[in-house]
Amino acid sequence: MNDFALDVQDLVKIYPGRGGRTIRAVDGMSFKVRRGSIFGLLGPNGAGKTTLLKTLTTLLEPTSGTARIEGFDVVRHPLEVRRRIALVLQETAVELFLSVRDNLLTYARFRGLRGTRASQRVDELLGRFHLESDAGRKAQDLSGGTRRRVQVAKVFLADTPVVFLDEFSTGMDPHLKRAVMEALAAEAAGGRTIVLTTQVLGEAEELCDDILIMNRGREAARGDLHTLKLLSAGLYEIAVTFDRLPATIEEDIARLSPLRARMNQNTVELAVKAEEAQVLEIVTALAKRGRALHVEVSGASLEDVFVQLTGEPGAASGEEER
Amino acid sequence: MSAVGAMLYREGKIRATNVTFIVWDLLHPLANLVFFGAGMDLLVGKPTAISGASYPAFFLPGVLGMACMVIASNTAYGFFMDRDNGIFYEQLTYPLGRGEFLIGKMMFNVMVVLAESLVTIAAGALLFGLRVPVAAWAPLLAGIVVSTAGWFFFFATLALRIRRNDAFNAVSSTSFMLLPMSSLFYPTAPMPGWLRHAAMANPITWSIDFLRACTLGTGFDATLATEAVAFLVFSGAMFLLATRSLRTQ
Repeated sequence: MNDFALDVQDLVKIYPGRGGRTIRAVDGMSFKVRRGSIFGLLGPNGAGKTTLLKTLTTLLEPTSGTARIEGFDVVRHPLEVRRRIALVLQETAVELFLSVRDNLLTYARFRGLRGTRASQRVDELLGRFHLESDAGRKAQDLSGGTRRRVQVAKVFLADTPVVFLDEFSTGMDPHLKRAVMEALAAEAAGGRTIVLTTQVLGEAEELCDDILIMNRGREAARGDLHTLKLLSAGLYEIAVTFDRLPATIEEDIARLSPLRARMNQNTVELAVKAEEAQVLEIVTALAKRGRALHVEVSGASLEDVFVQLTGEPGAASGEEER
Repeated sequence: MSAVGAMLYREGKIRATNVTFIVWDLLHPLANLVFFGAGMDLLVGKPTAISGASYPAFFLPGVLGMACMVIASNTAYGFFMDRDNGIFYEQLTYPLGRGEFLIGKMMFNVMVVLAESLVTIAAGALLFGLRVPVAAWAPLLAGIVVSTAGWFFFFATLALRIRRNDAFNAVSSTSFMLLPMSSLFYPTAPMPGWLRHAAMANPITWSIDFLRACTLGTGFDATLATEAVAFLVFSGAMFLLATRSLRTQ
């Protein structure tokens, strides 16, 4: 067995569309994911992330190409693949008619855990996810956030070597999100492979040691955070805080043609592509427009790389062909 | 087998922790027998021209057959609820084959229908003096198992292929309209020719005739054997279709 938990080769998924047209949701993806890593699949809406995830988790069959999870082909050995994966879907998935405890016990049963061992693991997770007081309540009587907690708790109940999370932080409060991110990092350190899709780039930046950016069903970029940032060499983020915003600041910014600009109270944030010397000129010019209290210049963020590679977030969609 | 057991555990937990489900599951066939059976018994008089049996005795296998269909339809409707909850797709990534997924649900249905049948037959004995011959218990059990399986795979196929609960409701209601076009409420012999032909081609007739032969102890002939084989083929085909439908969700 090799070092890779995922091995995807020339994967294509085509959906039939209206009027004889087809949609290439995944268009020839090839990549491998090393065991014990946290792999982030990024991309704008319609990039093909969820289709790819559904294919890897045996929910969809690919049109062509192969995908192997822990050495097992998702089409030829789907059951072996399912034995090795746990999934958190983007939508909240719970058994509405069952209590929180029974939700976890039922999931445990599907994962081959039963009796005292299952009860112990369930009790442990109820504590870890602060669900003790809701343990006897039916899921249909719980808030959306608590249901999400039950759903996410399930992947920590199973000892599958690979965990897939599709937009896992949807509907989570910041405390839970923080706790889950720490737990995921710990699971990866213990050898589990975590595959997550997200549009919250901060999550990927903090959590992932391997990132693939998808756009229109294809790979737009791949690498660790530092490698991806190198793709945007010459990209700088500038933040200037004034005592009050200069009257002509909007026109001044427009003249600079930044990749991204944001004004937040008295602070102006820009992302620009320029030579180092030019950046100093821009900062000096901006600072002269008013009384600058604070100036900060930094390299590109993952968001800058993402925007540069994929265009406007949400603008891309599956490519259509006749 | 542990995967099928897990599905049984899941279905059992949902039913056992909801009083409404328990009451409905156990009592609706009995209610059919008592209210419809007693009413028709008074209407058609005793003894009837129906197989030389009282109407409740004639109707008992119809009640059992309807129980097989009702739970099958309800369980298939559950696919829509599970889809709305998101749990349906999560379950499809659990370590169980698509066939095991369906067989687990079907086996739970069988257990519920067997409990319903016991309650209904016992109450029928008390209220109407109905007796099922001891020699008929084994074939009756087999008939109930196959009927429940066949109807579950049929409704599961509809639910998985149609994918919209409003459309499923319309189609499954239509399939319940096939009940009067069968031997469930009355024998086929006195039917007008066109209706008799339709009834003989109806899988509901195939399963009810078998169950009726068991409960009335009338024995099995070539027609009945043909109907039994036809229903087995129908069930097998529906299982294959349902499994295939589940693969393409």
